[in-house]
Amino acid sequence: MVVYSFYIFDRHTECIYSKTWLPTSSDPSSGSGPATATATTTTTNHNHYNPATALRPSTADDAKLIFGAVFSLRNMVRKLGGDDDAFVSYRTAHYKLHYYETASSLRLVMLTDTATLSMRNVLHQIYINLWVEYVVKNPLSPVEHKGGVGVRNELFELGLDQFIRGLI
Amino acid sequence: MTVFALIIINKAGGLIYNRTFHEGGLNKISTNDYLVLAGTFHGVHAITARLNPLKPRVGNRSSTSSSSGPGGLLTRPEPPSGLEVLESENFRMQCFTTLTGVKFLLFTDPTQANVDLTMRRVYDMYTDYVMKNPFYQLEMPVRCDMFDRKLGSYIREINNR
Repeated sequence: MVVYSFYIFDRHTECIYSKTWLPTSSDPSSGSGPATATATTTTTNHNHYNPATALRPSTADDAKLIFGAVFSLRNMVRKLGGDDDAFVSYRTAHYKLHYYETASSLRLVMLTDTATLSMRNVLHQIYINLWVEYVVKNPLSPVEHKGGVGVRNELFELGLDQFIRGLI
Repeated sequence: MTVFALIIINKAGGLIYNRTFHEGGLNKISTNDYLVLAGTFHGVHAITARLNPLKPRVGNRSSTSSSSGPGGLLTRPEPPSGLEVLESENFRMQCFTTLTGVKFLLFTDPTQANVDLTMRRVYDMYTDYVMKNPFYQLEMPVRCDMFDRKLGSYIREINNR
C-alpha cells in the first residue's frame, strides 16, 4: 500500500492542510535516482511559497482541482443515492481517492495507489486521534484555520507522519 | 446482484442514453437533472485524469524541453485515464470510456461483482445495435429499438439471477 498525499478542507472550502509522500524520483526535474520517499508539507498560501520545500509547484492548484472534483461527486452521489448517502472513494487507472466528511463539514481526502482497500476508517481515525486531539483541543489554535493556521503544529504533523508510515 | 441504471455520455459531455432498470435503487431525478449530471460528470472525469500524483502534468510537460524526444520529435502523450469506479454507501458506479471518448456509466448495488463483464456486453450491444444502425446519427440521442430490447433482456437476466 502506498499513500501519495493527504488533504484537509475546511467548511469554507479552503485547503487548510496538505502533505505529500511522493518519491522524489517521480519528479523529472530533480536528477536524483530512485531515492527514498520524502514527506513534504507545502503551504497553500502563495505568500509563504518556498520552492525548496515544494515538491511540485502545482500543489496549490492540485488542492483546488481535488476539491472541485470531490465536491461535484459528493453532490452527484447525494442526488442519486439520497441525502443519507455518502461518497466514499473513486479509482482511476493510476490512483485511488478516499473521502471522509465529518458532521461539521470538515473534509479529509487521501490519495493512494489503486490496490488499497477502503481507507474510510483510517481517515476517521485521523480525525479522532489527530485532528480532535491536537488541533481542536489545542487552546492556542484558532476556531477557523485560515491559511492553515493552527493545523500545522508539531504534534499533528508528527502524529500524522507516523500514522501514515505505520500503514505503508 | 442488481444493476440500477445505465447512462451514456457522448464525447462532448451530452447525455445520449439514460435508462433505469431497477426502481428504488437510485433516487428518481428529472431528465433535466440527468443532463446536468452528465455534463458535471464529464468535467469531473477530465479533472480526475489530470490529478495523477505519479506523473507530471500534461501542461507542465509541454512547457519543458523533455516533451520532445530524440530528433526533436514530440513524444505521444499517454492516453488519459479518468475516473473508473466510484463507490458510495448506497451504490457503485463503473465508468468505461471508449477510445472515441464515449462514456458508459453503469450504476449497480455496492456488492455487485463482475461489472467489467457486464460493461463489456453493454458496449458490444452498443456497437452492434447502435453504431451499425444506418439511421443513427453520431453524437445524437440513442433511439434504437433493437438496442433497447436486447439491453433490457440482458439486464433483466442479471437482476433476476
